[in-house]
Amino acid sequence: MHALYDLAVGPLAWLAFGVFIIGSVYRLLAMRALALRKDGAFVAYVSWPHAFKSLAHWFTPFGALGWRENPGVTIATFIFHICLFLVPLFLMGHIVLFDTFRGWSWPALPDGAADVLAIVVVVICAYFLWRRLSVPEVRFVTSAQDVLVVSLVGLTFLTGVLAYHRIGDNLVLTTLHILSGEAMLVAIPFTRLSHMLFGVFSRGYIASEFGSVRHAKDW
Amino acid sequence: MSTIADRLIEDEGLRRGVSRLTPEKIEKVFKELIAGECGARLKTYVESCVRCGMCAKACHYYMSHKDPSYTPVAKVSQTMWRLLAAGGRVEPQVIYECAQVAYTECNLCRRCIHYCPLGIDTGYIISVVRRLCHKLGVTPQYIQDTAHSHSAVLNQMWVKDDEWPDTLQWQEEEAREEFPGLRIPLDVEGADFMYSVIAPEPKFRTQLIYQAAAIFNAAGLNWTMPATPGWDNSNMAMFTGDSEIMSRVERAHYETAQRLRVKRIVMGECGHAFRAVYDVANRWLGWKWHPVPVVHSVEFFWELIQQGRIKITHKYADPVTIHDPCNIIRGRGLMDKLREVTHFLCENVVEMSPNREHNYCCCAGGGVINCGPPFKNVRIVGNSIKAEQLRATGVHTLVAPCHNCHGGLEDIISKFGLGMHTKFLGDLIYELMEKPEAE
Amino acid sequence: MKRRTTPLALVAFVAALLLALPALSQQDMTTVPDEAFKTRTRPPALFKHDEHNEKAKLDDCTACHHGEKDGKRDPGADTSGIPCSDCHAVEAKPGRTPLMRAFHKQCLGCHMTQKKGPVTCGDCHKPVK
Ligand code: HEM
Ligand code: HEM
Ligand code: SF4
Ligand code: SF4
Repeated sequence: MHALYDLAVGPLAWLAFGVFIIGSVYRLLAMRALALRKDGAFVAYVSWPHAFKSLAHWFTPFGALGWRENPGVTIATFIFHICLFLVPLFLMGHIVLFDTFRGWSWPALPDGAADVLAIVVVVICAYFLWRRLSVPEVRFVTSAQDVLVVSLVGLTFLTGVLAYHRIGDNLVLTTLHILSGEAMLVAIPFTRLSHMLFGVFSRGYIASEFGSVRHAKDW
Repeated sequence: MSTIADRLIEDEGLRRGVSRLTPEKIEKVFKELIAGECGARLKTYVESCVRCGMCAKACHYYMSHKDPSYTPVAKVSQTMWRLLAAGGRVEPQVIYECAQVAYTECNLCRRCIHYCPLGIDTGYIISVVRRLCHKLGVTPQYIQDTAHSHSAVLNQMWVKDDEWPDTLQWQEEEAREEFPGLRIPLDVEGADFMYSVIAPEPKFRTQLIYQAAAIFNAAGLNWTMPATPGWDNSNMAMFTGDSEIMSRVERAHYETAQRLRVKRIVMGECGHAFRAVYDVANRWLGWKWHPVPVVHSVEFFWELIQQGRIKITHKYADPVTIHDPCNIIRGRGLMDKLREVTHFLCENVVEMSPNREHNYCCCAGGGVINCGPPFKNVRIVGNSIKAEQLRATGVHTLVAPCHNCHGGLEDIISKFGLGMHTKFLGDLIYELMEKPEAE
Repeated sequence: MKRRTTPLALVAFVAALLLALPALSQQDMTTVPDEAFKTRTRPPALFKHDEHNEKAKLDDCTACHHGEKDGKRDPGADTSGIPCSDCHAVEAKPGRTPLMRAFHKQCLGCHMTQKKGPVTCGDCHKPVK
């Protein structure tokens, strides 16, 4: 277990960051090249001012029709995504690793606050899973991959929380946590989680069409 | 859960089309289509859709049927995802199902773009499915007939070359009884604008041509209509997925305007035609913008009102409500001008909710109504949400500046007993305007 | 405890200072001293000095109680008895190792290389039983 932990916290961690970053950059560049090659008649209309205006609405809770008409998902997804970035980036447990091995340090969230937010993420993942299995229109389009990615996020946060509370064998849970966190990072460029990479561009593109060609809002 | 397979409707065209297919043939055509015509848009949309189901409430089909297989994302899952997952190697029956979804259960109204946080354009994905079905020769019989007509005579209704100027001259004659000096100027080079209409107008809505002529005459405008093919601005080939014919039709339309050296094209009150001319076919022809500027009637009437060229004797007294046609609102942002014109003409305007860019579709557009009788019921029952929306306004007059919308709305008005009648802006203007020579 | 004597006067002074401290402190200690931290975010790390060293077969105090030369760790100097926080300030100047990092490097670093001993947050930072 000790050896696995060493592997996970060392080489695998770098591997995961590497695959995540290089994979993401590669996918973005490849998609850009594809768009320029095959979607010229649409790329021609890209208009950043319209894109930003629309994105500002879509990044505001209840700032767009879709959000207003789906209040439950809206609240859940905003909290979920904010915590998804906030907690791992400003978590004492994570910063300490960088601090110890790299000498990089930055301010951390209070442990108690991070803990609450992490638990909230676990609860929201459970809500998402529940929706997937029981809301008919969501269930109709759910595939194994959708269940898998939510579970992966949920598992990462759950094992993190258990490790923090020292529930179960700490070495086992921490190792499991790190491995699932790494799996999640690696999954981002290559699964549905790639919406993180492409989402702003797909919205920005359609906002450009609506703004510059159709003169109508898209939110 | 029920799927498209549980509600297949017999259609001559679809049935004949699939009978000629094999999985190998489908696979070949599918792969060529994806490699040849699709790029980053399709790839991004399919990959990054998080299957959240937020788009469900956007679609009037889902809101009316309340069946999860009618949500935008479900339409994509039952067509494009399925084809992609199989690499295009599917049984012909699957293409039947794809065609029924794509041609008759989505109006390409783009309302779902307002619901999807990732901005996924379901209408575009469905258009790609239609393109595949077209390439495979699996298209509903009725709409395919209109596409054939476009191909043969460059208009949607098999109007023959001589029938067209005959019709215009007939309308001119009729109108001259009411307005003695009135002309419908044919092929006048250098006129300020070319007025183009959809082929159903000369075929069975000649009154609309009459009214337009009366309005332009009263306003003292320098206008013309072409005497040659290229006069029809409608485009059903766009909706069957026949981009080649679509662009031939539009090229003829633009080139006619260029031949007449007009300053711009004014298009009658039709939505899908405007989409074809303004937003779709120009791209296929390689034009970012338009070789001749195009204006929809709503905007044109608005200009005339601004310039004081339309004078009315009185305002329409009965309360009216406004239906925002997808193709000129989400497609061109004419919601404010539509309102200003309507308020200019009417005493009392009751807004329906939701409206403007968020308006529910009439469920006729996107070629759905053109798929004809076999699919009529699904589209009418599939728009009970619109019926509720209309009923809630409590008014009896419905302003809708779009032909397709008229068709769809009239169907639900009679089906749900709403006791309303639909009006074009042209109907209202003609009814209310000062008629100069009518002494 | 065996201690290597050095001729340096400074070290003699340190040793004298050490003798002045309560003689039993090392046997009694159960956690790493964390008094220097103004706020505590976790329970102090569990650490029974003598028991740890016996288990780890550590005879050489400088394995932990190192000195400093030219801004580098100097294993030659024995600093036993000097509180770590005397050199490792909680808020260290640039180029210096702050106290928390020093502790983590000391414990975690060794446990990682030796492949023995606790390495997770929760296996050190836990209440004394
Ligand atoms: C490179 C991979 C990762 C490593 C090495 C790592 C390491 C750690 C460590 C050492 C802890 C400390 C547990 C404790 O405080 O007792 C922790 C906690 C945690 N980590 Fe990670 N982690 C990784 C990836 C992630 C990712 C990708 C996420 C989420 C997106 C995440 C979320 C959390 C959470 C939620 C906690 C617990 C917070 C709490 O309840 O206090 N970790 N992680
Ligand atoms: C800028 C970055 C991101 C944006 C704008 C974004 C946006 C969205 C949106 C709009 C949804 C749909 C609403 C919902 O179902 O909750 C969604 C769903 C989701 N996102 Fe993200 N996301 C981002 C990054 C991430 C990342 C980094 C992850 C995980 C690693 C993630 C995981 C998920 C999951 C699992 C769902 C699906 C929830 C469900 O099953 O319904 N997202 N995201
Ligand atoms: S009919 Fe309109 S709302 Fe429904 S899927 Fe098609 S484009 Fe979207
Ligand atoms: S709202 Fe967008 S991301 Fe969500 S299921 Fe519909 S198309 Fe997919």
